[in-house]
Amino acid sequence: MTQSQEEIFNTVATLVGNFNTRGIEINKETKFTADLDLDSLAVMDLLAEIEDHFDITVPLNILPDLENVGQVADAVAKIVNE
Amino acid sequence: MREPIPTHDPSLPRRHADFENVLDALEYAAKGIRGFNFYSARGELECPLTFTEMCERAQEIGRRLVGFGATKGERVALIAETSDDFVCYFLGCQYAGLLPVPLPLPTSFGGRDGYTQQLHQQMKSCGASYAFSASQMLPLLDEAAEGLKMNFIGTADMFEAQTADVALDAIVLERPQSDDIAYLQYSSGSTRFPHGVAVSHKSLMANCYGISYDGVHTTDDDRCVSWLPFYHDMGLVGCFLACLTSQVTTDFLRTEDFARRPLLWLKLISENRGTISYSPTFGYEICTRRFKPSDIADLDLSSWRVAGIGGDMIRAEVLRSFYDAFKDAGFTEKTFVPSYGLAETTLAVSFTPPQQGFETELVDERVLSGEIKELNGEIQDGVNYREVINCGIPLPQYDVEIWDENGNPLGERKIGRVCVKGPSVMVGYYNDDEATKACLNDGWLDTGDMGYISNGAIYIIGRLKDLIIINGRNHWPQDIEWAVEQLPELRSGDSAAISIPGDNNEEVPAILVQCRIRDEKSRAELASRIRDMVQSLVGSSSKVVLLPPRTLPRTSSGKLSRTKARQQYLAGKLVS
Repeated sequence: MTQSQEEIFNTVATLVGNFNTRGIEINKETKFTADLDLDSLAVMDLLAEIEDHFDITVPLNILPDLENVGQVADAVAKIVNE
Repeated sequence: MREPIPTHDPSLPRRHADFENVLDALEYAAKGIRGFNFYSARGELECPLTFTEMCERAQEIGRRLVGFGATKGERVALIAETSDDFVCYFLGCQYAGLLPVPLPLPTSFGGRDGYTQQLHQQMKSCGASYAFSASQMLPLLDEAAEGLKMNFIGTADMFEAQTADVALDAIVLERPQSDDIAYLQYSSGSTRFPHGVAVSHKSLMANCYGISYDGVHTTDDDRCVSWLPFYHDMGLVGCFLACLTSQVTTDFLRTEDFARRPLLWLKLISENRGTISYSPTFGYEICTRRFKPSDIADLDLSSWRVAGIGGDMIRAEVLRSFYDAFKDAGFTEKTFVPSYGLAETTLAVSFTPPQQGFETELVDERVLSGEIKELNGEIQDGVNYREVINCGIPLPQYDVEIWDENGNPLGERKIGRVCVKGPSVMVGYYNDDEATKACLNDGWLDTGDMGYISNGAIYIIGRLKDLIIINGRNHWPQDIEWAVEQLPELRSGDSAAISIPGDNNEEVPAILVQCRIRDEKSRAELASRIRDMVQSLVGSSSKVVLLPPRTLPRTSSGKLSRTKARQQYLAGKLVS
């Protein structure tokens, strides 16, 4: 089943919400380190939750290109709809 | 489903790395039935590789490399995936007389440019002419190799296709001498000015013997489980090479899979009856953090005999929490084996005896900040103490001394620089005499760590060489300062990056910045930009302190003294 970009972004944003200790508004531009204050271990916790939820594996080589929530949602959408 | 390679092998007597070189060790191991198992992200066996298969494949790769035209001593960059390919290419290089150079993988979100620049600098510094990676990493590797003169960049499959016509049987393989360099290790050195530790076969064998025989007392029932990356000395030497050279079956989990699902590590130990497994403190910390009481029912950690700890400052409270979380799964406190070592000594310098558990001493905080240089005996009221871990007694092959600023040895319980001498001290930094001379004299290696000796055991209290270690990753202050000083408001020399203790004794990066701006709003805005920048570099939040101009302490030659800056800051003498 194909999921829309919009649905995927909303799901990712909900999962990111569990890590939003600063209580900021989450949008596509929200950055993991600068805005959400996540350290590298917390980022991997989050990634595990995203992978489990969508039942996918996000390959290591694309991690360096993921700086904000929108980029993660796009990457997930690409993998899910492949 | 395939069966994992077994722990026991009655057909082959154990030898503890008493070989001339790593190939002799490999060929001995290949006579038995043991080997390495590689596991998937879900903890399923993906690829068992017996030492016999490893040996055959490494010889074939060696022949292909020679057939391709590689000449003795050339450097081969290997992006260090936890895979059979990495292991076989590392050993294949040995058969071809080449120097493998394990290079890092990305570890977290973001930082693409920083990562490719790091690879670029490392390949440039050792003059690598070959570079291998798995296919998914190839675009990043290609980008990193831009501007470098390379004979080959690609995957194992591409290389094997390109060398399909080589008459393999006609090729004569190299046989390393024990003084030959076996590989280069880039776990130390800054990102912008990296230097590779050159390790000879002799050093490697000596340290593998020390680890296996004197350190963990390997027996026939031992089985190692590892998630440590091969681009780090603890993963490369402690888990890959020490296990190979002592014929220990080992189960490997990829580091990135461990980082996402740390409990897979413990599950693998439980299922395969693992007995030896190492981790830096943070590995124990994330297991405790991710643990749920419902996980215990599936775990039986009673087989675990050596839970090695090293690689960063060991924190006692993390070990206690780990024990509390997993004691009901059969984990015992005596299993912890704190150790001390560094890439410059191949890996290990000291181990606590197995089944001793961890011991701590209380050290006056003024000693840790450098205000006083000697430990006082009695615990006094009104003094703040921190727990420091006993990192064990030096391996018999090592002499360890504590030196003062002038290189004079100090007695027990006196604080100074930890200096070591032994057969596994590196040959030097590759092609970098200046950096080598700065730490290596007359066989004595200045580790750059501060510590003391008490009852013959090593206690590490800090690092002289200013390294900042966050979640197991080393960061050089020079790299952070350089980045921060690119901001238009700042000049070169305006910042000092140091590590300070956080609330739970963890390391927190602090950036001391000389600031000429007076306006409060602009100051806050600058501090926030610096914080963001540091965060994107080290992946953790930092403390930014704006100081008046010309307040950072300098050495007599005008260079920044981070050690003094740290002391002054911790003593409350450096404030906005």
